[in-house]
Amino acid sequence: MNDCERTQENIGRWFDDELNRAESERIRVHVESCTACRAAQQRMEKIDQALHGVLAAEAAQVEFTSFWRGVERRINERRPWHREWLDRVIGVPRSAWAVPAVIALLLALLSLDSYFPAWRGGVTRSGFAAVNSIDAHGRSVALLRENETKTTVIWLYDDQEGEDETAEEAPKAGPAF
Amino acid sequence: MKRLKKLLRLALLFSLVQVVAGDRVDAADPQSVQVTIGTILVSNQNDEFDPKLKSMEKQLRVLKYRSYRLLKDETQTVPWRGDKSFDIPGGRSLTVTPQEFQNNRVSLKVRLTERNKPLLDTTVTVPNKGHFLYLGGPPHEGGTLVLSISAAAQ
Repeated sequence: MNDCERTQENIGRWFDDELNRAESERIRVHVESCTACRAAQQRMEKIDQALHGVLAAEAAQVEFTSFWRGVERRINERRPWHREWLDRVIGVPRSAWAVPAVIALLLALLSLDSYFPAWRGGVTRSGFAAVNSIDAHGRSVALLRENETKTTVIWLYDDQEGEDETAEEAPKAGPAF
Repeated sequence: MKRLKKLLRLALLFSLVQVVAGDRVDAADPQSVQVTIGTILVSNQNDEFDPKLKSMEKQLRVLKYRSYRLLKDETQTVPWRGDKSFDIPGGRSLTVTPQEFQNNRVSLKVRLTERNKPLLDTTVTVPNKGHFLYLGGPPHEGGTLVLSISAAAQ
């Protein structure tokens, strides 16, 4: 892109004083030395003047007093907090909701176990009562676990014959007391 | 674009708060544990099955006895890391101390004594408000005592 193309591309923004100082100065210098770009600038000025003239003539016929009164009234009007909040929420672009919504959904899924431990069988998956440690103070003890009914039994008994009893047989053994 | 960035920052902050809060909820210990001890007399003397034990019939039948009778059902609220004793027929006592609450399961330290003499010390983990743990063996009135232990964190 040469200087002329770049200038003419930005001439509208320059005219509206929207460019930074360096770019604005570059265009000013270029326009002074370039016939084509100066012509473009002049065209822009003519359009601006024409529009300004038309709008000024139209505006002179418009009654602004009631309009400004309405604006003033609306500025002074205290809006309820929920309306302001609603406007703010609805005013947010839809795409902006997607990210927090996805994050919240993921967090909710990850937190399900904490809040609802049984939702995917947390308790029912391993519904057994577990025995972490047993000290029978020298007596014999058996641990029975039955899958179908999820039953856990600690059974104390006398191991009178000194045999190793299996858990399944434990209830039939003689009690230790 | 600025608004979007601001929202993203808020969303991340919100997520962080959620994660921290979630962890706190998960790690939070209950104030107390409601422990229920049922004392059941099992024997082979007859075919009686106490209707009050209907809810745990399947589990009890695993023990292969013919007769099941509920002698006592006692519920006590035990403060966290405190202990409570339950009187068991035959001069026995069962002391329960809640230890830990994790993954909706309650760990209990259980001590069975007979005239202040320890018979059994065990640490068990039971599903919160879930299945019972059974502790059997002590003889009583021609049968055997079976203690059902359950816990509900509060």
